[in-house]
Amino acid sequence: MTRQAVAADHRAAADRARTIDPSAEVAVAARRRSGRLARLGGVALLVCLVAAWEVGVDLAGTPVWIVPAPSDVAMALRDGLGGLAEAAVVTLGEAVAGLVLGTATGLSMAIAITFFRHLEQAVLSVALLAKSTPIIAVAPILTIWLGFGHGPKVVVTALLTFFPMLVNALEGFRSVDPAIEDWFASVDADAVTVFRHARWPSSWPFLFTALKVSAPLAMIGAVVAEWMGASGGLGRSMWLAYTNLRMPDLFAAVVVLTGLSALTYHLVTVAERAALASRRA
Amino acid sequence: MTRATILAHPRRFVVLVAALVLVACQATGQPPTTAGVDPTSEAATLTPVSFMAGFSPQANLPFVGAYVADAQGFFADHGLDVEITHSAGGGEHLQLLTTGTVQVTTQDAAVLLERRADPGLPLVSLALLGQRGQQAFVALADSGLESPRDWAGHTVGYKGTPPPDVYAILDAVGLDESDVDLVNVGFDPRVLTQGKVDVYPVYKSNEPDTLAGWGYELDQWEAADYDIPMLGLTYVSTEELVADRPEVLDAFVDAAMEGIAWADDHRDEAIDIVATWTGSETDRDHQRFILDTELADATSPVTDQYGLGWQTHDQWQALEELLVDYDALSSRVAVDDAFTTQFLE
Repeated sequence: MTRQAVAADHRAAADRARTIDPSAEVAVAARRRSGRLARLGGVALLVCLVAAWEVGVDLAGTPVWIVPAPSDVAMALRDGLGGLAEAAVVTLGEAVAGLVLGTATGLSMAIAITFFRHLEQAVLSVALLAKSTPIIAVAPILTIWLGFGHGPKVVVTALLTFFPMLVNALEGFRSVDPAIEDWFASVDADAVTVFRHARWPSSWPFLFTALKVSAPLAMIGAVVAEWMGASGGLGRSMWLAYTNLRMPDLFAAVVVLTGLSALTYHLVTVAERAALASRRA
Repeated sequence: MTRATILAHPRRFVVLVAALVLVACQATGQPPTTAGVDPTSEAATLTPVSFMAGFSPQANLPFVGAYVADAQGFFADHGLDVEITHSAGGGEHLQLLTTGTVQVTTQDAAVLLERRADPGLPLVSLALLGQRGQQAFVALADSGLESPRDWAGHTVGYKGTPPPDVYAILDAVGLDESDVDLVNVGFDPRVLTQGKVDVYPVYKSNEPDTLAGWGYELDQWEAADYDIPMLGLTYVSTEELVADRPEVLDAFVDAAMEGIAWADDHRDEAIDIVATWTGSETDRDHQRFILDTELADATSPVTDQYGLGWQTHDQWQALEELLVDYDALSSRVAVDDAFTTQFLE
């Protein structure tokens, strides 16, 4: 059965389901309402937490250099928006570059293992070694090799992000329906053909799952690398704020970082929906 | 909780009471005293004090003063039961000091003024042990850089933020920031030996020994060479403690200064004591280098006249003006509030 035929079958089944169950649309509407309520509940919870934080800090008389009130953070955010935006651009650039490098590396390793099974133990051992090495131990060496610019930060980010892609891609490439594998075997398809028409398409949900993990992780990776020594970026802003005990500035940078991480996650989710929808179409 | 509930769940009641007692102890903001725990012990007669060294265990002079005072019983002789802890170096020791969890810590004089200016911490120097700045700049001896004037056109490193020293030294030799390439180089001196930077910022008592140990000869320049009034490490407490518990701080400073004097006279033994904090794997020679360097920097014409740890208005005022000149202070600081000699008299 071709992919087009399978898709047509799915569409027909969906049509039948709608015909058989006239309350389906009502159920969909109910699910949407429930989703909206859940989102509203999330926002309400967040607002309550922030309000409790503000009141708690105020009542306890906590000094601003220990824990700032949300209002202090908001003011720091407003006053430092220009500098934070500039820093965010630097960090975002390093995070994206590191994510691309890490994704490409993880994907390449997974493809290599898929085609050459005997490499699996060796590649996974090296990957685990790289994954398990504390970044703080390798960062100075990266600086010695690559200098004080963006290079070491990109590599640190790649080191943090390649592993989720490697593991998920490997799983995705192996998630092909055995019946489909049997069919390709029956027509004597070569490994490249099987990869192109079966393994690669079946891996998409896994690849996007990996990206959902590694995209926010890339932001953290870039910030950690900058924290250890940089001339710009959110990590440096946070380090400066921390060492100077400017806690509102530190929290403001954290807010920006959190926002960027959420944005990257959301972008991956949108890309996933679009990609999977286009594939279905 | 009603009486009936208590009778029904006696264990819950005991746990609740214990929790409330614990919370009450924490709420005082003071470490729990030993009185009442064991009235027959010697500790019951001592006043508990928490001292947090501003970095990991090593032979920095203010740390050594506390280590020795603890090991030789000077703290106990002065009626103190001192708990010694260490900061990771990120500034948390100042936070803990201002919240009352710690009563004495250590801090660089320039940073003390900076934190007084922003965010306004009420820090007070009890004794000035670094009569000169802690930092210097080094280049490899074969680099051809014979004086800071030769830094022009070269990369000059800094750790985190450029210290006022670097601008002051450049000024002193007729250069400015645009003549050099200032780079944040972090804390690994291998960037100097690998040629990634031409001039590397060091703590005088630390990296020069490490680099020498690797076989590199260095040229070293520091602010004091150019009459730039940088200062080093201090024992620090807060205005509140100076006002409310002067007897405790007086006892602490007396004991710690005794510890430093003892360490000066018994340097090998002092390193033995340091090793009990740093661990047996410590490089004793390196710790000795730290101690020797900082003991040398602890003396000046001021201390010759008034004794170890002394500090003057002129010293602090000159430092404050230097920091203002190089934009290291966000606002002016009244230096007379930033130090006291009452515990050294």
